Amino acid sequence: MNVKVNQDPNAGLPKGAARYPNAPSTQEIIATDKVAAPGWVRSESYEFLGDEDVSSDRYTDAAFAQKEFDRLWTRTWQFACREEHIPEVGDYHVYDIGRYSFIVTRVAENEVRAYYNACLHRGTKLRASGTEGNTSEFKCSFHGWSWNLDGSQKELLCPWDFPHVDIAKNNLPQVRVELLGGFVFINMDPEAPALADYLGPAAMAHIEAWKLENRYIYCHVAKRLPANWKLSIAAFMEAYHVLDTHPQVSVTNADANSQYDVYGEHVNRFISPLGVLSPHHYGKYTEQDIMDQFTLGDSSALGDVERKLPEGGRARQAMADMFRNMFEKATNTDLSSVSDSELLDCFSYTLFPNIFLFPGISLPMVYRFRPDPRDHRWTLYEVLFLRPVPLDGKRPYPAEPVRLADDQSFTEAEGMDPGFGAILDQDTDNLILQQEGLEASAKRGLTLGNYQEIRIRHFERAVDQYVGGKA
Amino acid sequence: MPPGAKKAVKIDNTWVLVCNEDERLFAVSGICSHQVKPLVNGRVRNCMITCAVHGARFSLETGAALNLPATKPIETYQVRVVDDWIEVLV
Repeated sequence: MNVKVNQDPNAGLPKGAARYPNAPSTQEIIATDKVAAPGWVRSESYEFLGDEDVSSDRYTDAAFAQKEFDRLWTRTWQFACREEHIPEVGDYHVYDIGRYSFIVTRVAENEVRAYYNACLHRGTKLRASGTEGNTSEFKCSFHGWSWNLDGSQKELLCPWDFPHVDIAKNNLPQVRVELLGGFVFINMDPEAPALADYLGPAAMAHIEAWKLENRYIYCHVAKRLPANWKLSIAAFMEAYHVLDTHPQVSVTNADANSQYDVYGEHVNRFISPLGVLSPHHYGKYTEQDIMDQFTLGDSSALGDVERKLPEGGRARQAMADMFRNMFEKATNTDLSSVSDSELLDCFSYTLFPNIFLFPGISLPMVYRFRPDPRDHRWTLYEVLFLRPVPLDGKRPYPAEPVRLADDQSFTEAEGMDPGFGAILDQDTDNLILQQEGLEASAKRGLTLGNYQEIRIRHFERAVDQYVGGKA
Repeated sequence: MPPGAKKAVKIDNTWVLVCNEDERLFAVSGICSHQVKPLVNGRVRNCMITCAVHGARFSLETGAALNLPATKPIETYQVRVVDDWIEVLV
């Protein structure tokens, strides 16, 4: 009797449970590391969220963008600045989202407030957008009305002409502020959940473990992208695109066997192991090839060192050992408690609506995406690189933003690793074609993979909940 | 003038602000080009000074106005150290 054996390891699995066949999982790769990974790395939280198409009008319709301003941006927690931008009492930083503008200021050693950035007289911005500094008062440049750091009104020129204004009550309106991991978050909605509830206990445990408050911004680059902010975000939510978009790094990246997780309504992540061969390339490259082609987000510490793999060695472990030693020396930091996975791998977390946190050491970025309020087809994109504060405790000033022109390459950005800049160019070069393609298409939706594109589905579900009024 | 220090001095009829940022000395006009307010209380960071009154920011290297509400530059002056004295060419 002949028995037909089904060789497909995914056969019969429920939707979303299929994985790249005959390749180790992310957890299996990390389990072989010499310096073991912490609990927040060694956990999984995937959830199947449906397989219907995602409507494309959200990217192409200006009316949808207006709904987002009305219902999403006004009700979500947003990263306004880092605490390092405002370390001293009186320091302030202006954060804009759409037409809204806020002065985020430290009013006491342990208290940060955020005020609507507009004079209560005739509306002039009290500080120009995109600026920061230190002051003892917020004084309008038009007629000189001024407010103290605590938001109380300090001075009103010619009070005899304003008997209808009660100075004692004419405080600058505030929005909510919370601090987490060195980030200052604001929320315009007085009814919104607290930040810890918004992010949920699992994600909060991860974020608190990273101690990102002990890092500083050593590079900050800003550039406009020619696509809707949600398309721009989605371009960074999966490793599925690595093979075609980033052929130069696909050799050294477990792209097709990366891990994807969702946490509650507002947080998701992937873990993409580096220093291992992509399953797409099995049998085509050696461990020494992987070693030679390894691209780091912060490769400056390695310099031009020879990447010689020991006899019988594995590229992933050799890179972890080499990077650990050289990075500690170059940056005067202690990485002894940091696992190999945290050193090398790409941990990409999204905190809804618009930031990515990458808590790794070699890929230590923060991304922020904001819609252009004048054109829903453009995004303001920022990438910040964080480094551990030096062991001597002297915290460098956060880097000033380098603003690239629309036609400039990320490789031209001072302070950014050119290899990493080339990757960002590849990511963002797809975007204008995608924006235009969606507008040209006969199909009015996007089709997503159940596993590798789950973060996009999770993100767009949250968008729908806010815009549709369900959140 | 230790690192981080600022000092405003009047030389003849000109207010000059001397700043030591990370052991680099700069000398610029002590008066903001926006509404002629003193710059001495401004925050110095990354070779820039921000006027404390309305937030105008200037390059300490070139004097260029970097953001609103200022649109005009401030003067910059040559500075040198001679026998522990800081000299400014006005």
